[in-house]
Amino acid sequence: MVTLTIDNLTVDAPEGSTILEAARNAGIHIPSLCTLPEIHHSPGACRVCVVEVERARSLVAACVYPVANGMKVKTSTRRVRKARQQVMEFLLSDHPRDCNICQKHGNCELQQVAELVGQRDITVPCTDFTRHNIDDSSDVLIRDMSKCIHCLRCVTVCADVQGVSLLTPEGRGFDSRVVPAMGHFLADSACTYCGQCAVVCPTGAIVEKDHTDRVWSALEDPSLHVVVQEAPAIRAQLGEEFGMAPGNLVTGKMITALRRLGFDRVFDTNFTADLTIIEEGHELLHRVKTGGKLPMITSCSPGWIKFIEHFYPDLLPHLSTCKSPQQMFGALAKTYYAQTEGIDPATVFVVSIMPCTAKKFEAARPEMRSSGYRDVDAVLTTRELGRMLRQAGIDLAVLPEGTYDAPMGQYSGAGTIFGATGGVMEAALRTVYAVVAGRDLPSLDITAVRGLDGIKEAALEIGELGEVRAAVAHGLGNARTVLDRIAAGQADYHFIEIMSCPGGCVGGGGQPLPASDEKRTLRAKALYHDDGRVQTIRQSHENPAIKALYDGFLKEPLGKKSHDLLHTRYTARGV
Amino acid sequence: MNERITGLETLREIKHKVLENHRKYRLRLMLCGGTGCRASGTHSFKAALAEEIAHRGLGDEILVTETGCNGFCAVGPVMLILPEDTFYLGLRPEDVPEIVEQHLIKGRRVERLLYEDPQTKQKIPCMHDIPFFSHQLTWTMKNKGYIDPEQIDEYIARDGYAAAAQALFDMTPDEIISEVKTSGLRGRGGAGFPTGLKWDFAKGARNDTKYVLCNADEGDPGAFMDRSILESDPHSVLEGMLIAAVAIGARQGFIYCRAEYPLAIERLTIAIQQAEQRGLLGKNIMDTGTDFTIEIYKGAGAFVCGEETALMRSIEGRRGMPRPRPPFPAVSGLWEKPSLLNNVETWSSVPRIIWGGGDLYAKIGTETSKGTKVFAVTGKINNIGLVEVPMGTPIGDIIFDIGGGIPGKKRFKAAQLGGPSGGCIPAEHLNLPTDYEAIAQAGAIMGSGGMIVMDEDTCMVDMARYFMEFCQDESCGKCTPCRIGTRRMLEILENICQGKGEPGDIERLETLANSIRDTALCGLGQTAPNPVFSTLRYFMDEYKAHIFDKKCPAGVCPDLFKAPCQNGCPVEMDIPAYIALIRAGRLDDAYQVLKQTNPFPSVCGRVCGHPCQDRCRRSQLDESLAIKDLKRFITDYTTPPRVAPIPVVHTEKIAVIGAGPAGLTAALEMKKRGYEVTVFEALSEAGGMLRWGIPAYRLPREILNREIQEILDTGVVLKTDIKIGEDLRFADLESQFDAVYVSTGAQKSMPLGLDGETAEGVMGAVEFLRAWNMGEPVAVGNQVAVIGGGNSAVDAARTAVRLGADSVTMIYRREQKDMPALDAEIRAAQEEGVAIECLADPVEIVTENGRVCALKLSRMRLGSFDASGRRRPVAVEGSEYVIPVDTLIPAIGQKAELESMSDKIGRDMKKTRIHVNKDFSTSHPRVWAGGDVVTGPAMVIDAIAAGQKAAASMDKTLRTARGESPWEQAPGLIEIPFEVDEEIVEQPRAKIGELAPAHRCKGFEEVELGYDRDTAMNEARRCIRCDVKIEQG
Repeated sequence: MVTLTIDNLTVDAPEGSTILEAARNAGIHIPSLCTLPEIHHSPGACRVCVVEVERARSLVAACVYPVANGMKVKTSTRRVRKARQQVMEFLLSDHPRDCNICQKHGNCELQQVAELVGQRDITVPCTDFTRHNIDDSSDVLIRDMSKCIHCLRCVTVCADVQGVSLLTPEGRGFDSRVVPAMGHFLADSACTYCGQCAVVCPTGAIVEKDHTDRVWSALEDPSLHVVVQEAPAIRAQLGEEFGMAPGNLVTGKMITALRRLGFDRVFDTNFTADLTIIEEGHELLHRVKTGGKLPMITSCSPGWIKFIEHFYPDLLPHLSTCKSPQQMFGALAKTYYAQTEGIDPATVFVVSIMPCTAKKFEAARPEMRSSGYRDVDAVLTTRELGRMLRQAGIDLAVLPEGTYDAPMGQYSGAGTIFGATGGVMEAALRTVYAVVAGRDLPSLDITAVRGLDGIKEAALEIGELGEVRAAVAHGLGNARTVLDRIAAGQADYHFIEIMSCPGGCVGGGGQPLPASDEKRTLRAKALYHDDGRVQTIRQSHENPAIKALYDGFLKEPLGKKSHDLLHTRYTARGV
Repeated sequence: MNERITGLETLREIKHKVLENHRKYRLRLMLCGGTGCRASGTHSFKAALAEEIAHRGLGDEILVTETGCNGFCAVGPVMLILPEDTFYLGLRPEDVPEIVEQHLIKGRRVERLLYEDPQTKQKIPCMHDIPFFSHQLTWTMKNKGYIDPEQIDEYIARDGYAAAAQALFDMTPDEIISEVKTSGLRGRGGAGFPTGLKWDFAKGARNDTKYVLCNADEGDPGAFMDRSILESDPHSVLEGMLIAAVAIGARQGFIYCRAEYPLAIERLTIAIQQAEQRGLLGKNIMDTGTDFTIEIYKGAGAFVCGEETALMRSIEGRRGMPRPRPPFPAVSGLWEKPSLLNNVETWSSVPRIIWGGGDLYAKIGTETSKGTKVFAVTGKINNIGLVEVPMGTPIGDIIFDIGGGIPGKKRFKAAQLGGPSGGCIPAEHLNLPTDYEAIAQAGAIMGSGGMIVMDEDTCMVDMARYFMEFCQDESCGKCTPCRIGTRRMLEILENICQGKGEPGDIERLETLANSIRDTALCGLGQTAPNPVFSTLRYFMDEYKAHIFDKKCPAGVCPDLFKAPCQNGCPVEMDIPAYIALIRAGRLDDAYQVLKQTNPFPSVCGRVCGHPCQDRCRRSQLDESLAIKDLKRFITDYTTPPRVAPIPVVHTEKIAVIGAGPAGLTAALEMKKRGYEVTVFEALSEAGGMLRWGIPAYRLPREILNREIQEILDTGVVLKTDIKIGEDLRFADLESQFDAVYVSTGAQKSMPLGLDGETAEGVMGAVEFLRAWNMGEPVAVGNQVAVIGGGNSAVDAARTAVRLGADSVTMIYRREQKDMPALDAEIRAAQEEGVAIECLADPVEIVTENGRVCALKLSRMRLGSFDASGRRRPVAVEGSEYVIPVDTLIPAIGQKAELESMSDKIGRDMKKTRIHVNKDFSTSHPRVWAGGDVVTGPAMVIDAIAAGQKAAASMDKTLRTARGESPWEQAPGLIEIPFEVDEEIVEQPRAKIGELAPAHRCKGFEEVELGYDRDTAMNEARRCIRCDVKIEQG
């Protein structure tokens, strides 16, 4: 520990910590815009956090300056306050003043810090504005670099957390901007659409493309039969959009809200999550027994799929051929459900609510039309659903609890935990064990695969299969590590779960903002609570609706219908 | 000779062999192959030379060696002949036969290719006698021009790698570092951090892997020190790095060199290869078990990559962006390993420090800045090149002694040190020693050694704008203050330069500059405001002129003036217009244009100091236009526009005291504005200095009379023989007139301040000229001495010649080039037999019987610089000498007579000047003043300008009191043609005819004859019409 003085307060701080950390621990909030400790991002770029350090020549950036014994720091002298205001004025002088119509309005860190430092005027001449073309080439994310404040968080999250390294600053001085390398448009790039850049962006420079209007139009179209599915993580996130604490499970209120919005049927992606376990579990067993490609890797996370297609095309055979639960849902809604209900599948409009931005891309993939129609018609993120509900004047917090419609609304706890990293693995192992061993696991909680460690491993003796070794990775940077091991022949696993986003779907690109690991942990906890405490059925193969589906429609796992509707293929893409 | 070197012994053997080989040749021709000389044609010369030498069979006695940069880049290609030290410059292939025949065979130097002293016009054959070299002290660059940089043995022959051997065999790391500390060497990259200390930090860092890095990313505009060192002596850098590697325990080094330096990279690559071959780099160096490998990393030319953390990121293969420190690179640098970074010059200084001892180095320089410094001197300076001097050498010595001063008689304005991160040193600080602290105190930085010299034609606001634009273009864009803040500063500067500056801009610039300096991430951003700080500190007037007067005094900012000649004219005469009208043959219109801004065009066509001509853009091609002579041509060849009386429309009455050009102009201007104006003149006729000071051979009296009459014809009332204070009390004027303009001039000569000045035969130049011009008897003796170098001194001297003096000598305490008189006047005086004695100053007037009989003079030498940027003359002790003199005319300045004036008008009796405000008003609410009484002796055109500006101010004050807006001149209705020759052919200025000296000395007939019509037309055609702005489609 070192002892220093901050604003005449004697403060102890661990060696190697920054002035900013020491100050915040001492209850002194130093504003900052660029730093983001969770992703180890402290470029010292925005200069909002400058403080005075005795004997230093100029002001120093608190977010990167290490504490030292006897150091004397002043965080709010006139010099400091004026400097922060000046920096803020510079930023605002080059920012479009369209806050009222910006997607990040009210959730913008630039607004918040401007308020914190008390900047009230722009007097510098600003004859020149950054005016860059808006990149809305993709159907997922919109990049508007005129709103960029060069915090470089997106660059770091893309390179260091996600291992994609797509974004880079380009150009010099005032004309510099952060762009996909080689000046590509997003749509022509190796972007995985994971949306983590949008999650960390402090302003409205990177936002999801809003599809709420498509959904409003569908709901208002009397000729359409609009059904909705919600990803497992939504029930643990949506409350935050309405000011509720993170980790509040709002399943029943969410159902009511969706029904009030006008959806004809409120179903659940958890249903097809259970189905995925059946198909994927049998695929794993098949590969193990027939000497198929191992390790097999999960395929639920569309950002991850695009990642491997771009960067590790040689490893594509390792991917499970199962579609993601979202897409299985869409395919069944337009076949199984339409048949069962006697509805013209052409009139069925499938909306999914996802914690994910890449799902928008996945739904639009050309191979996702095995029902004869586009499987999923519109994808909304949690944030977009929040926006729709607010527009409709629906206050989630006070709604009564609703229940799902049949037949695609029933699910097990195994389906719910899909939303957290390790959840798919845990769910799959429960079922595989039961199928192979003919009995349930002694304990259904496989805690080794839970939590936020980047790469987790587990090994399980499963009857005649012997020891089954599993690995779980979340965040594409960790995925890269695992893939490099596979490519090097050093990955002695049978089954690997990979999720694009840190924390899995609870940390998805479409999650409520601002995000943090703390929130992700609370959300995951809520999902495990649903699995352990709320749901009476905790294993996918025990879901009676799934049994009914096989009995009445699919007949058998990995059968012909499954093959046609629930499995897919992958495309090698260039970098 | 490719054997592996195993220690000092083998190095000595090689040295011996090389020197022995050199001795086999009678002459060694060291031909400069630096980038500058190569560009001027080294290779074609070298080929011709080699062929001729072979052809004449001289191959065995003459050795031709291509060296690296010799430093004297301005005159390349250059060649040094050893051992005799002959220095040839400006070499062309066609010079080869003569050099071979005359010099190489017959041993006679080729005079025309030798250096010529611009002052004395003497040839200087030996390199070490040429001032550019003789004032230098080389340490870092001791090998430049003496070795072939592509031959390692030549470096070894000059004790190369001996220091490395010493470090490897005989010294501990601590001893090496201690030697560097003893030397006092500080980082030559700019910041001046003590080098030994830096090495100590790197040595102390615990890590198995450490790096030694060389920053060769020289990027300052105008800087080429590092490039030249790499080109001329690459091994010195490698050896310096090797010594450091031994000291800190590094096995890998990188040289980060910008890709724009292909020759430097080529020579470095060769040097590394040869050093590796000889066991001086690579594995097991000199068989000691030490490994050290150097790789070259080519930078893509980003300025910010000169910043150490950005440089390291760039080597790592990432975008070159600085990161905050700490951690410092000595702890965590390249690939997060301890890294020791120095720049080229620092590395290059190290071997001699180790070999010769740090104390030897520490003896050079100043207390805090030891050793030598290399400067790249560029810009408006005669000897562009690379110089090395002891730290502490005054900047003025570098610019004037080594650099040879400013071309074209222009005045030195400032030197920019430290490039875009630095600041400017103005003329008043030329004595500033070049040490880190002194330069920082003056608001600049030592920087890496770029020195850009600027003359009076440089606009300092534009310069600040340029550097701000540079920083903005080179900012990596990472931190807010540098990315956006510098752009905001740039916008303010651009506005100011475009005439869109506003009150408050200066304060805004200061605020932004302070914030950016305080908040930017790296050195680039923190120092980006420096040029603004330093120009605000020294050239605030120029900022104010741009913002408030919408004028660019230097004539650089194109939005603020039409043409540079017009901008340089105190009354902004529309010069391009009247010259175009001459060309079109419309002389009457041209005369109208003249009269719009100048009531004395005919006078000015003869005696104006024509600052317009110094600005003429044509001079960049051949010679400036003869604007003065063309003006005279108009007034010679057509009749002046008709003058009609102007009616009086105001009740206020105006008095003007003094009928010189300032007073008459003010009177006319007030008359134009409708006032009743009375001019009071103490003498019998109007004209002031034009009549009483300027001799008739320069200004015929009928010309003067005509232009005065044109003013009086408008209705201005002239009352002569009325002296204020004697014939009329100032208080009476005050009570009878609503506004009074004082333009009484400065008509008393300044005394020399020596005994005997009242003796017979001594008279001030003004008094002398006035007496003669008034027709009073003037006795001129046989031996006339005139003291001073201004126009009055020349007038007095030439008048004395005409009055029959046997000998007339002008005595001036500085050099002839410093004389303030017009060059043409000095030349004419010399033609008429006037002798000029420079660097002499009177110390005693010797009298006999109350009459001057001789003058004791002291020789002067030029000492340190004064506030005007000129060297101050200092008496040489014991150099006194006496010349016989019977007439002594001091002409060292003039003062005003202010005794009769009201003391309410801001008299400065000490300087005998009236102090006025910017608008020529005085502290008396109804009195204005202008002309020589305010400025001291100045040009006619300055007096005219003063009269115009004072009149505008008087009128504005009177009208404002009545609630009216000020008068505005109706715009001229003369359409100006635009006609230029499609191709501009070089053509010197047309000469004006003159009376022959022998003839003109006999009387006061006008000397200059004026142009004839054809000559004038041709001269007018030389105008390139730079005033016309062509719209970009």
